Amino acid sequence: MTLDTRAEAGTGPASAAWPIRLDGVSVTYPNGTAALRDVSLTIEAGEMVSVVGLSGSGKSTLIRTLNGLVPVTSGTVTVGPHTVTGLSGRRLRQVRGHVGMIFQGFNLATRVDVYRNTLVGRFAQAGALRGFLGVPTAHDRDVTLAALDMVGMLDKVWTRAGSLSGGQQQRVAIARALSQEPSIMLADEPVASLDPPTAHAVMGELERINADHHLTVLVNLHLMDLARQYTHRMIGLRGGEVVYDGPAAEATEADFEQIYGRRIRPQDRLGGRT
Amino acid sequence: MTPGTTAEPATRSELPPRPRTWPRRTLIVSALAAFTVATCLPAIGGVEIDLGAIAQNWRRGAANLSALLQPNWAFVPRTVQPMLETLQMAFVGAAIAAALSVPLTLWAARPTNPHTPSRLAVRAVINVIRAVPDLVWATILVAMVGVGALPGLLTLVLFDVGIVVKLVSEAIDSADHPYLEAARAGGATQHQMNRGLALPQNLPLFANQWLYALELNVRISAILGIVGAGGIGRLLDERFGFFAYGDVSVIILEILVVVLIIEAASHLLRRRLA
Amino acid sequence: MSDTLESRTRTTTASPAVVLPPRPSRLVQTVATAVVGLVLLVSVTTLDVEWAALRDLPAAVGEYGVLMFADPDWSRLPRALFEMWRSISMAWLGALLCVVVSIPLGMLAADGVGPTWLRFTLRGVFAVIRAVPEVIIALVLLTVTGLTPFTGALALGIAGIGTQGKWTYETIETLRDGAADAVRAAGGGRTAVVRWALWPAALPALLSFALYRFEINIRMSAVLGIVGAGGIGSMLANYTNYRAWDTVGMLLIVVVVTTMAVDAVSGALRRRIMEGP
Repeated sequence: MTLDTRAEAGTGPASAAWPIRLDGVSVTYPNGTAALRDVSLTIEAGEMVSVVGLSGSGKSTLIRTLNGLVPVTSGTVTVGPHTVTGLSGRRLRQVRGHVGMIFQGFNLATRVDVYRNTLVGRFAQAGALRGFLGVPTAHDRDVTLAALDMVGMLDKVWTRAGSLSGGQQQRVAIARALSQEPSIMLADEPVASLDPPTAHAVMGELERINADHHLTVLVNLHLMDLARQYTHRMIGLRGGEVVYDGPAAEATEADFEQIYGRRIRPQDRLGGRT
Repeated sequence: MTPGTTAEPATRSELPPRPRTWPRRTLIVSALAAFTVATCLPAIGGVEIDLGAIAQNWRRGAANLSALLQPNWAFVPRTVQPMLETLQMAFVGAAIAAALSVPLTLWAARPTNPHTPSRLAVRAVINVIRAVPDLVWATILVAMVGVGALPGLLTLVLFDVGIVVKLVSEAIDSADHPYLEAARAGGATQHQMNRGLALPQNLPLFANQWLYALELNVRISAILGIVGAGGIGRLLDERFGFFAYGDVSVIILEILVVVLIIEAASHLLRRRLA
Repeated sequence: MSDTLESRTRTTTASPAVVLPPRPSRLVQTVATAVVGLVLLVSVTTLDVEWAALRDLPAAVGEYGVLMFADPDWSRLPRALFEMWRSISMAWLGALLCVVVSIPLGMLAADGVGPTWLRFTLRGVFAVIRAVPEVIIALVLLTVTGLTPFTGALALGIAGIGTQGKWTYETIETLRDGAADAVRAAGGGRTAVVRWALWPAALPALLSFALYRFEINIRMSAVLGIVGAGGIGSMLANYTNYRAWDTVGMLLIVVVVTTMAVDAVSGALRRRIMEGP
């Protein structure tokens, strides 16, 4: 993976990383499902952490409590200087502006060009009038283009997002998150819809974001080898509870079997690059 | 056929009992029959089926029909101006409705307006507008603002807004909009999401219905003049009143041609949009 | 994927200021927008409308709204319900007639059912009926038969054939379940194919369209009333002419409530039919 010199040149997003704190967080959905049970965690600023678990383990819910997409039933979520719990309206949007997020399904507007999809990352910074009219400033434009350049998608800026390949779409989604100039980067199963070579490229991109921009990166995964290879610390979730928390590289097969609650299967590994 | 190939059932097959659908069927059929009978009872407002009257009218009717089959081509020049007015009303009405339909549609769809009371309010207004037939709107508006193209235009706008808002908001409701979650996670306001993403993403849906509204407008604006709301309908009504069936058939033929042309053009445009 | 990886190595040597790549030409869109805008401008300026009158519109809507709905005249409600039932009857009988005529005709117009010459003739007839506004078809028919609710129902029945026939043959043609081939392979003739393959498969959709026709006719019957066929439309036109606004308000409420109720019931039935029992 080539290191990009652009960030050092000063055009890349730059901001201080934030720590994350969860204190006794529980989430129960209106249908009665308990997605998280009394989870307490501290993640230091600049850490690269994976959250590993099967689908239904609560990892998607966990990551969504950090930017308030899912409100907690009890407990407190703190990101950087802000307590997310109880925030709403403008204050919540401001905090969200500092937390970038990428998704399994890329979540791009398929009929809209790459440029306008990426500009979305600047929405939280827009003043009242510009926000209403939807007119970006020159600074917004520069940050957006720098972010696209950083993920190598600048030449596709006028292409409709829907006509890009999966890997390209995820790059645009990363650029959208980067253009927020975030302090935390969240990724919810970012490579689950991609083929192995592309998945490694996107994971490498996240690794680079953590290393070059010193961002706190929290990434949800269900594949054990990706967690071991790309992240430093691993949190294992099962049934909404933390069952493992330690260095990712040292996690044994037994640890993974405990997280999965069953024996390791071939599909728990992506394969490809090691 | 040779005797050997005919399958002789060794034992008589038992027919499984047929599901008892007949009581339900009988109930439905008799309910429909009762409803139909009730619609034929003049005492309670039903329609009096009087084939005798038609037989009596037949001779006069046949004469009218044969007059209709002889178009008075000399009348064509007098129809040009009203026909143009009809087309203008159709076009301007569709354009105004298109502009109004954008905010109303986004307010009426759940993904673009999570605020339930305002969404239900917009939907209720649209449903009431749609429940009043076009010519009823025209009759009342003529009484309110006077004879002319203005009440016709207002009728078309109301009619189009009703159709476009209902159809497009239902289409938006039934689709997935993952890009909105991404924008929300990035701290965007609902207005920024709607303007920056939801509108461009769903523009083809809008364009399709705008064209459909234009097609319908050409037909409707041809008859609005019957109640004094401008366009060629006024001339049609006047010639009917004078029993000038040769002129009437010219007008009808013109409407037929114009409608077919607009439909063909609209069909071509839609194919390009798809 | 590999090409984007290469392009990434390329960007490392780019100059610090990121330049927006040129936007692809959108000449066609620009010209089309300009033409539409110009036609719109010309239409707006030459249309015989006093745009200044729009300023008084909100006040007028408020004023007439109060006149109509502040104290609707409920004393004429029995008469209104009588006339409403007449309109519903016209709509129902019209839908019945329309469906009874258009189903056989529509089936004959479907690919693989009727002979080619008949198919094209029928489709042409449907297209012409569709293109002429229903009210005009009704007006022409009413000159032949005279203005009564019965002729109104006839007019609704005939005016709807164009669309209903089209829906019918389109439905038949989208049935690609092989049942028609199976009947044909078993030696069934044209009639057998229609009776044993097409009819059962198309029935739910055709029933659903029939109900939809009834919903359309509820609105159309009020319109026919305005041009003189009787029913709620005639009553509404009369009281509007008398400017008896409190009665007009009551009538509008009756029309809106009835239409919405019919839509709701018919819509629920249609969903049930299409989803199966």
